[in-house]
Amino acid sequence: MQPIKSVMKKRWKYLTLRQKLTALFVLTAVIIVSVNLYMFAITNEMAGQVEAVYISNVSLNELSGALDQVQRSMEEYLNTKSSDAMEDYYRSEQAYRSLMESLNTQVTDNGMLLTEKNIFGLSESYLRLAAEAIRAKRGRNVEKYGKFYEDANTLYEEIHTFIYSLNNEQFKDNSRNYQILMSSLRYMEMLSIGILLLVLLGNISLIAISTKTVTRPLRKLAEAADEIANGNFEIGQIPVQSMDEVGIVTGAFNQMVESIRNYIEQFRLTMERENQLKERELMMQSHLKDAQLKYLQAQIHPHFLFNTLNAGAQLAMMEDAGRTGRFLQNVAEFFRYNVRKNDQDATLEEEIRLVDNYVYILNVRFSGEILFSKEIDEALLDTRVPSMILQPLVENSFNYGIRNIGREGRIELSVYRKRRNICISIWDNGAGMERERIEQVLAGEAQEAGMQSDSNGVGMKNVIKRLRLYFHEQAKLEIFSEGRDRGTEVLITIPGGEEDAPCTE
Amino acid sequence: MRRKRGGMLLVFLAVLLSCLFFFWQKSTEIIKEDERIYETYSRHYVMITGRDESDFWDRVYESALAEGKERGVYVERFGENLAVEYDRNELLELAIQASVDGIIVPGDEDDKTVALLDEAVKNGIPVVTVLRDSTGSLRQCFVGDNSYNLGQEYGRQILELLSEKKEEMESPVKILVLMEESRMDTSQNLILFGIRETLERELGENHSTTVETALVDNTRSFSSEESIRDIFLNLEELPDVLVCLNAVHTRCAYQAAVDYNKVGTVQMLGYYDSETILDAVAKNIIYSTIALDAGQMGRLCVQALDEYTQTGYTNSYMAVDTKLITAKEAKRLVDRK
Repeated sequence: MQPIKSVMKKRWKYLTLRQKLTALFVLTAVIIVSVNLYMFAITNEMAGQVEAVYISNVSLNELSGALDQVQRSMEEYLNTKSSDAMEDYYRSEQAYRSLMESLNTQVTDNGMLLTEKNIFGLSESYLRLAAEAIRAKRGRNVEKYGKFYEDANTLYEEIHTFIYSLNNEQFKDNSRNYQILMSSLRYMEMLSIGILLLVLLGNISLIAISTKTVTRPLRKLAEAADEIANGNFEIGQIPVQSMDEVGIVTGAFNQMVESIRNYIEQFRLTMERENQLKERELMMQSHLKDAQLKYLQAQIHPHFLFNTLNAGAQLAMMEDAGRTGRFLQNVAEFFRYNVRKNDQDATLEEEIRLVDNYVYILNVRFSGEILFSKEIDEALLDTRVPSMILQPLVENSFNYGIRNIGREGRIELSVYRKRRNICISIWDNGAGMERERIEQVLAGEAQEAGMQSDSNGVGMKNVIKRLRLYFHEQAKLEIFSEGRDRGTEVLITIPGGEEDAPCTE
Repeated sequence: MRRKRGGMLLVFLAVLLSCLFFFWQKSTEIIKEDERIYETYSRHYVMITGRDESDFWDRVYESALAEGKERGVYVERFGENLAVEYDRNELLELAIQASVDGIIVPGDEDDKTVALLDEAVKNGIPVVTVLRDSTGSLRQCFVGDNSYNLGQEYGRQILELLSEKKEEMESPVKILVLMEESRMDTSQNLILFGIRETLERELGENHSTTVETALVDNTRSFSSEESIRDIFLNLEELPDVLVCLNAVHTRCAYQAAVDYNKVGTVQMLGYYDSETILDAVAKNIIYSTIALDAGQMGRLCVQALDEYTQTGYTNSYMAVDTKLITAKEAKRLVDRK
């Protein structure tokens, strides 16, 4: 039972809507038709019973008719002695006897059946007497056949009385049966109407329940659609109960909702990213502006200064003061860089040139105290970095590293590739840094209190922030120092190499 | 929800199936009703009774039927449902022609009756005469009362009446015995003889009571009643004591006495113990009644026929008990009923 049920359930699940409705209709129709047929068959049988009610009367009338025939043919023979009459007599006697066979001959307590038995006995006697009469007629025994005929005649009338009485009794009985059957038929009619009403009621509820199962998923779908129309995408998956059209629509709907939700999520992420990007740009600009502001605070009117310096350089050239001219040109270029680089990034080459200018100026100022060396991978010169990052670092190396040491100060700038990263190292052999100091500087906590008046004012903190913003946090600035008087290395790692590997390995 | 739906479907199917089953059962019941099953029996006896005293004969027949059923015999009340009313002899003849297995019939001494009884016996059908005998016939057995004893009982009742109501009666006291005109046998005479003998023995030969008989014509239907009313109309001849020898006469006489306001004037001795008669006795309208044990009579008839059928012999006379019912006894019986 259970497996059949589950198989049927599965079957039902995979039927289409049209098939389901058709199956439902067929089922209810089959119920109604079969109940109808069943009751029709039973009522029909009863109707047959009603028809057969008066059959016993009919057969008694036949018997009576046959008896008349015997009597008539006997009289005919006794009258005419013709062989035709004789033949008639034998034929009718045979017919009567065959009808007699249907009579009851058993002793029963049913009055009518007993009367049948009596009729049978009387008929036997009658036929015997009739035969005797005919035999006597043949033998021309006038006296005898007269007597036999008379006796047979009396008995004939008496048999008629018996048949008539039995007929009456049977008619009464049959009428009673007929009445009973008719009232029963009416009763059965009412009963069948009742049953049909019940079937109708049952079928209606069956249809109501079954269509509900068909339409319930649709209703759920509609409700879900309403929810979504109202902007609520946080509805769960609608369960797919069947594989019909509604099931397919429900599945598609679920998928659609999922897709929309994903799309919205992606859209949201993109927007967020864009916002972040914009925010970064703004910050970048603000930091640059900050740097520039500080720069400009230090060098008022760079254009004027630059033009003035250029004029000074030309004058020096004209006066054949070559070194002065070169110095002034370097100073001019130093300032021009800032005027020109209004936008935030520059190539490494430009940055390095600025460092060169700066070191030249320093060397003039401090009469060649600094030994500046470069080791540059030429292929990386086009790499784009935020502007004004190398010069402040070199400035720091000079100011805090080698300025006040008694020995010869050295600064080394190297640019090289390490796998996927590009490493920029500024090394000095100056004062070195304590570990705590390094951490403070990296965390941006160090008060750049001792900022020299001749610094261009762009601090370490600013450099770090701009690097991070520019390279999406993928740039790294590290400071290495083995302690006091043992030099310092500032190492910038930016992405751009072929392989991702830290420069510090 | 799903389970609920399945349950509902099951309930619906169950109700439908039970309705259909009920429908089927009802129909088969109706069809079956038409096919009643009857008991069958090995022998077919017929009882032929007169049209009179149907109440009495009903009781005889019922007990015969019951006795027969116990013995596997069906006793038919012959000629009962026929459209034509045949008289006893015609019925007797028909029973012979119908070749029944035994006949119970009240006899008489008429030649035709005797001849028919003989014919039946010759055809191998045993015959028992009941209540009245055909002494000259070849019948196997007679079942009935002892008429002489019955007469003596009536005589004793008359004597009791005489001693009780002597003052109310004019001398000579006139006693009228109602006799069936058609009854040719000796039983009525034996009763009369019994009455007379009892009176003579008690009162001496020259007693002042006269015992007369009145013939009641019962050859036609309803003629008994007319004859008895005639007696009450003839005031000169009105008897002091009226003796009825059968149930119908008793009822007719009782009704006539009530109708003509002669209760008390005419003392009545009845026969049989039907409800009406018992009621009349209890109310002292009828002085007393003598009842024949109808049940025993029916039983004895079937016993005699069966005995003869099975062994070829039976007693030629079987006596049925009689019972006197006085007012006191009648009251008890009425109360019991």
